[in-house]
Formats: sequence, structure tokens, C-alpha cells
Amino acid sequence: MLIDSIAAQSRWRRVSPAAKTGFALAGLLAALLADSAPVTFGLALAFALITCYGAGVPARLWLRVACLPLGFLALGVLPLAFSWAPATGWHWAPDAGTRMAEVLGRAAAASTALLLLVLSTPLADLFDLLRRMRCPTVLLDVMHVAYRMLAVLSVSTADMQRAQAARLGHVSTWHSLRSLGLLLACLLCETWRRARDLERAAAARNGADGLRFLSATPAHPWRDASIALVASSALLAVVLGARL
Amino acid sequence: MTPLLEARHLRYAYPDGRQALRDCSLSIAAGSRNVLLGANGAGKTTLLQHFNGLLRPTSGELRLDGQPFDYSRAGLAALRRRVGLVFQNPEAQLLAPTVAADVSFGPLNLGLPPAEVRQRTAFALAAVGLTALAERPVQHLSHGQKKRACIAGVLAMSPDLILLDEPMAGLDAAMQAELIAVLDRLAAEGVSLLVSTHDVDFAYRWADTLYLLEDGCCTAAFAADAWPEQLAVLRAAGQPQPAVLSLYQQLSERGLAAAPRLPRSFDELLAALPRKAAAPCEECSECLEKSGLSAPVPATPT
Repeated sequence: MLIDSIAAQSRWRRVSPAAKTGFALAGLLAALLADSAPVTFGLALAFALITCYGAGVPARLWLRVACLPLGFLALGVLPLAFSWAPATGWHWAPDAGTRMAEVLGRAAAASTALLLLVLSTPLADLFDLLRRMRCPTVLLDVMHVAYRMLAVLSVSTADMQRAQAARLGHVSTWHSLRSLGLLLACLLCETWRRARDLERAAAARNGADGLRFLSATPAHPWRDASIALVASSALLAVVLGARL
Repeated sequence: MTPLLEARHLRYAYPDGRQALRDCSLSIAAGSRNVLLGANGAGKTTLLQHFNGLLRPTSGELRLDGQPFDYSRAGLAALRRRVGLVFQNPEAQLLAPTVAADVSFGPLNLGLPPAEVRQRTAFALAAVGLTALAERPVQHLSHGQKKRACIAGVLAMSPDLILLDEPMAGLDAAMQAELIAVLDRLAAEGVSLLVSTHDVDFAYRWADTLYLLEDGCCTAAFAADAWPEQLAVLRAAGQPQPAVLSLYQQLSERGLAAAPRLPRSFDELLAALPRKAAAPCEECSECLEKSGLSAPVPATPT
């Protein structure tokens, strides 16, 4: 929910989601095309700066969101530092530094490009975009319900956890484990009840056949698309230029 | 005159056999303000869900404009267009990611063109004072704002009757006042309202007609002015007397207030009191007699 909350307050909230998606995809493509670690790290840095200074996402919040995927990537490249051969067994890989930097840089560039999209575009706008792109309705309905359930259940989970803590439910590891089990059991029942409630609420407004909502229309879709096209072209040109 | 909605001898049992409604009959007049009073578990929510066609009675009959409910697919769609239900828990009702999207859900299901849906969404949001929050994700709203978004979601379908299941639950005094203002505006526009509540003060102040539900039975239906005549039934159902009525009775017994009709609110009670108190003296009875306070309320202070 933090990501969606940041996106809702982003300076680029009103920019066409299609334009932002196009630019983020160009960033992904650039990350794939880049052939040297400095370029990929440069791309990652550029996307981070665009997100913070362009889209107006506070750097502190960007770091908070980015530390999880980037930390995961950093851990993920560690095995590249080692190599194994039948004769020598495990040993330091001779080209470990280069390979790790290449993979880490490419993955970081791709991740930051996508972070630019999700931190400036609320999920509701992305749903609208997917609908316009003819994404199957059933899939969109599931996504809508999952999104709402995520919001509702995260509040329920926090409430239950607080209620457990207030009655010394987390006073020791053993108590915490027991409380966690109880919480999961309660959450299962809660999910069931909430799903039934939402189904009933949809039926009460004649929505038993599917979930349809009105899309928000961006103020300047063509202007946004033009800017995204120019920026994407420039980005790809720089990356391709670096390859030559 | 044919009532807008009528329930005749409704009975409903849950799948586990528990009786939720036993012989419940009531009728709602068009353009009226109605309150359904009852303790927890009395069957208020179950009854409201019958009126919206979410539940079907085990026996008995429901009529809309004199016509029996049609439980076919098309019949239910027509019923839910005219009778909207606002759920007690807004989290159970809000489906869409943003406020405007959620409000548009009902009108879109009516098959209206997008331009009209936008118009109705804007109107409904304005009616509940949420225009500025139209694009906000619903999870970022306060509880009171969520309640208002729920009302807007139903209002956008332009129903003739709106059912509100305990709309005041969980709201602070300021939010309650805002919600009552919204209800007043709707009532002034001719929308019929049926509100279930535990709040006898609100019920007495606001409603034209009150219905008492006790253990699944509709035990009383009366005009708000007739509250004192229903005291025995209301007390038996565990409903306290409205504070303004208790205070007025105490003041009347002491000869300090008298009004041509029973006050429904503290403002009306204050209007029934003299503007200026008599000068204090040792012989209070004489003083009161001089000031004429035991007589009907004077227009100007004596």
C-alpha cells in the first residue's frame, strides 16, 4: 500500500499512464541493450533521479521502496562470485567482479525503470490502461478484488496484531509463533467473510456480472505521449550510441 | 395511497435454521424519512437486505409500488435500481480503487452511456461533499468519508428509496452531523430514506415514521410525535426515551416549559423555554407565577 500511496501523491499522477508505461518499457529495453556496467548503472541512477526530481517522489521514500528489490538483486548476484570445478572445488570466479557488476547493473536499471512507473502511477490507472489494452475482463476483475482485499486485509491484519500485542501475544518467541498461527487462522476466516461481503455489495448495485468502473481521462494524453516518445528515443539513442 | 415499499408478514430463516424474521410487516411511503429501531441481532440488516432483493423471504410478500417483487434477473436489476442499500461497514461495500470509480460502478451496471455516468458520478460526489477526493484511493479515506462514498455510490443510481444500515456507527459527532446534513439534503430532494439505528435521539429528531424491530418481529410502527404513546412497547424492546423528551417532561412537570407540540430536538426545546429567567427571589413559586412560566410559553419575557 506504500507504493500506491506514494503514487497517489506523485507530481506525475495526472500524466497519461500510457505515456509513463511507454517510457518505462523503453527503460527496460535500454537496460537489456546496454552492454557495459557503467551504462547500466548510469541508467539506474538516471531513473532514480527522474523518479525523485521529475515525478516528485521523496528520495527517502524511494530508498525505502527500492531497498527491497535492490537488496534482493545484490544478494542474488553473490553466487556469481564463486565458481566450482571438479579439480579445484569451490573457488573465487576469475571474472566475478565484471559479471556481478553487469548483472547487477542491468537488473538495477530495469527495476528502477519499473519503479518510476509504479511510484508515479496508482494501480487504478494501470487497471484502466490494461482495460484499454483489451486485457481479459475476468483477469481484471480478479486484480481489482485482490487489490481491494489487500487494502482491507492489511488493515485487519494490523488490527489483529495490535490486539494480540495488547494481550501479551508477542511476549516471547513461542507466544509470537502461537499468535501468528491464530492470526493466520483468523485471517483465513476474515478473507472468506470479506469476499462474501464484497460479492453481496456488488450484487446490491447490479454488479453480479463483473466489475466495471469509469476510467479517469488524462488531461493531455497526446502531449504526454509525445514527450514520452522523444524521451524514450533519446534514451535508446544514448544506449545504442554507447554500444558503438 | 399505494406505499412505495411494503412488507407483509415476512419470515426468514438462515440456512442453519435460525429464525431471523418472524412475521414482519411494514410500509414505506414515498418521500418519507423512516427509522428502523432495534437492538443488536433484532434483524435490522436482514430486513434491509430483503428490501434490496439480496435475501428472499421464506414466506410473506414484498411489494414495490404495489407490485410483488420480481426475483428474476431483470426484476432484481430493476428493483436494485430503485432501492439502494448502503452497507453498515464501508469496507464491505467499496469495491473500486478510487472514489470516483466506485461511485461509477452502479450507474455503469445500469447500462448508462459514459457521459451520463460521469454526470451522475459528479452529482453524487457533490451531494455528499466528496468532489475534491474523487480520484483518491478509497483506502486513503477516513471512516466518515468512506461512509459518504458509499452513499454516493448508491445515490448515483438515482434510487427512489435508500436503505442505510446503521450509518452513524463508528462516526464521531462532527462526522455524524455531516452525515445527517447529507440525509437532510436527500430527503429535501424527495428521496425516501430508511435508516436503521440504535440512536433513539437521532431517530426521534429526524424521522417521520419509526419502526420497531424486536427479535425478528416488527412490533410497532408510529409517527415520531406519537413516541410517548409507545413508551411501554419501546421500553419492553430495550429502547430508552430520547434525552430531549425526558428533559422536556421533567421541565413540564416543574412548570418550566410548555409547548404546543412536543419538542423533537434541543433547539425546539430551547424555543419552548422563556428567553429570560425570572429574577431570583426567596419566594420562587410567587416569582414563577408572576413570570407566567407555568402557563404556555410567552412570546416575550415578562
